[in-house]
Order: sequence, then structure tokens, then C-alpha cells
Amino acid sequence: MEQFKMPYFYNYPPYFTLQPVKDTREKQIQLWKELILKYCKQYKVFVINLDEEFPLFGNSAIERKLSHEARELFLGALVAEGKAEWLDKAHHKCLILWRSITDWANLILEFVKENGLEDGVMTLEEIRTGDETHGTDIAGIDRTVLVRALKVLEQKGKAAMFKGTATDDEGVKFSA
Amino acid sequence: MRRRPGLAGLQAAATNRDQFRSLGEDVAKARTDLMKEQLSVFRTQLEEFARKHKNDIRKNPAFRAQFHAMCQKIGVDPLASNKGFWAELLGIGDFYYELGVQIVDICLATRAHNGGLMDLEELRGHLMKRRRVSRDSTITEDDCIRAISKLKALGSGFEVFTVGKRRLVRSVPTELNKVHNQIIEAAQSQGYVTAEDIVNKFSWRTGSVVDALETLMKEGLVMVDDGHPDGKRRYWFPCVSAMDVDSDESDANAT
Repeated sequence: MEQFKMPYFYNYPPYFTLQPVKDTREKQIQLWKELILKYCKQYKVFVINLDEEFPLFGNSAIERKLSHEARELFLGALVAEGKAEWLDKAHHKCLILWRSITDWANLILEFVKENGLEDGVMTLEEIRTGDETHGTDIAGIDRTVLVRALKVLEQKGKAAMFKGTATDDEGVKFSA
Repeated sequence: MRRRPGLAGLQAAATNRDQFRSLGEDVAKARTDLMKEQLSVFRTQLEEFARKHKNDIRKNPAFRAQFHAMCQKIGVDPLASNKGFWAELLGIGDFYYELGVQIVDICLATRAHNGGLMDLEELRGHLMKRRRVSRDSTITEDDCIRAISKLKALGSGFEVFTVGKRRLVRSVPTELNKVHNQIIEAAQSQGYVTAEDIVNKFSWRTGSVVDALETLMKEGLVMVDDGHPDGKRRYWFPCVSAMDVDSDESDANAT
């Protein structure tokens, strides 16, 4: 995996303090939003938990880290754009959609067609960690995101999910 | 001998006057012709000079500076118009117009970050980086200042001014007073100041220092930083801290 290059502002201390002037703060939020999406995409991060340390939100080289308020504000701005979703009412966990659910659904459909699985059956675990998806963008997809994407395909009549006896038996039948 | 006025006398005087006038006209004409000839020689020589050194003027900053000095001595502004034969011949106008456009571009791109105030040396760095792709010529601060002075004609508020040891380029019509300039100067060594630094340095009242800092903040020239372990608020000046804003943009374009 190529080295992720942090943008200039990540090394500039004031970007770790919420700016009181409106225009400056908007610029600051914009920069952080872009960085969060880019970072999560690079490292395939799907959920950010505000109660845990997240490496992006602190820079030990300049001894600065974002306050809880700032983190919640930046993630909230992504939520407002539809690029993230709070997973709980108290805003502790945030699902980062660096690719939209619809795009995920299309990606899965493409994969299904390319691999001749039009009438095939796969378990959710196979899709996430199996040999077929290994090396594709789908590998390692978050379970919540996967289920949501498959539901989109279900609505289009291109897939049908079914439950097994255990969670890792949950599967999907494609009918693309 | 005493002569009385007569017709012959008057005629003689008139003849004299005519002769003087015609002589005067001859002299003036001779002078004009000489001037015209000199000018045409000068022009031919200049054309030859320009043809020979066009590339030097475009590529070599020292040569360019000398060329400007020469133009100034003979009272010609090669940048005054792009239609004059100077500009047509040398393409020197194009050089500065191109530079001007790039300067506006860079100032706009970085405005959100620095509030429209930028270190001249940093601007030069951006220009060099941007131009390296097309041409390997060096740009000097002198070139930047010339290009910016031409931008003034647009009434866009572009200006170069000196604060401490550095020269800053202003691309927004912010009026900075002496107090503001002194604070910016004080920030140059570390990129930031604390209110305490300023109070100690200039023996101003804390209240007025905070007021001045707040004003600079509202203008977008200052960002606050409350994250230092000592708990003192730091006021950072993006205009005096060199940062690589451009390289991020090229990254974004690449992906």
C-alpha cells in the first residue's frame, strides 16, 4: 500500500483548534472533511468511534489533537452531506461512506457479472473475506455497509438475502 | 551718416528677415533629419539586439533586470503596452502578463488559507513550481514585483509592501495599520505570537493587543491555536509561515 501523504494543514497547529471566525472555520471544516474521507478510503476504515483514539485526529509531531467537539463537528458535517451516518443517537460511532451505498451496490453487481455469479450463492462472509473478492475493492467491506448495499440490490430484484443458522451463514442469492 | 527711412531700407530689412527665417528652417530641418536618422539607426540596432537576446531576456533574470535598467535610463517602459514595437519585438509584455495571470491564480487559490496576504518569497516558490513544467527559466522577486505593479492597473488591490525583513503581497484591499504591521513582523520569526509576547515586546496594553489580534483574525489573516500544553493561545499567521499548499492540489488532481 502506498504511503498516505498528509496534507499541509495537518502539520499546522491552528487547524487542530476550532476557528472562531466563520469563513476560516468553514475552510477548516472543508479541509478536514476531505481528509477524513481520503484517509478512511485509503485504510478502508468504515467506522470511527469517538470514544477511542483515532490516529488521524491527533498529530504527535506538533503535539496537537482535535477536541471531542471538533471531531463531532467535522463528522457531523460529513453526515449532513450524506457522506457519513451516526450509528447511535449519542453520536459515539460514525459510519464513513467514502463510497455511497448505491456505488457499493453497483460495485457488487459488477463483480457478480464479471465472475459469472449471476445465479450464484455466496455467504456474506465469503463476500467480505473470501477468495473470490480477494484483491478487489469489495474485500474487507464493512458488514453493515454490505447488508445495506445488498438491500439496494434486493429492491432492484437482483439479489435475495437469506438467513442461515448462524450469523456467518447469512447469504445472498444473486439473480442479475 | 544719418539715413532717413525709405522704401529701399524697408525692403532690405524684409529680405534680411526672410533670409534668417529660411536659414533657421534649414538648420531645424537638418537637425530633424539627423534625429530621424539617429532614431532609425537606434531602432535597427535595438531590433538586432532584441533578436539576438530575446531568449536571454526571457530566460536569464540578471539580463532581464539589466534590460529594465537600460529601458529606464532611456525613458522607455517596455511594459506600458503590448502593442508597441518594444513588446512585439521582445515578447517581454507577454512574459509579464503571463506572470501576472499566474500570480492572480496563486493568490486566489491560497486566499482561503492566508486571508489574501502572502510572503513574496513563498509566492515566487509557487510560481517557480508552476512554471517548471513549461519552461526552466528562473523568476526573481524583481519580476514578481514588476508583474504585480502591472496588476494595479486592474484596480484589484494587488500590492507589495515591506514588513520587517520580508516583503508581503496583498491581494485583498485590507487596510493594515502600523500596529498590525508590527504584530505581523513580530510573528515572522516563529510563525505565531501570543498576546503576552506582543505586550512584552512593545509595552502596549493587553486590551489593545487583543483587539488588534481579533481584527487580524476577522480579516482571515490569523488563526488561533489553543492546543499548546502551556495553555497560552497562539495566534498563527499563515502569510508568514511557508507551506506547501500547491502540492496538495496537484495530488488532488492526480487522483
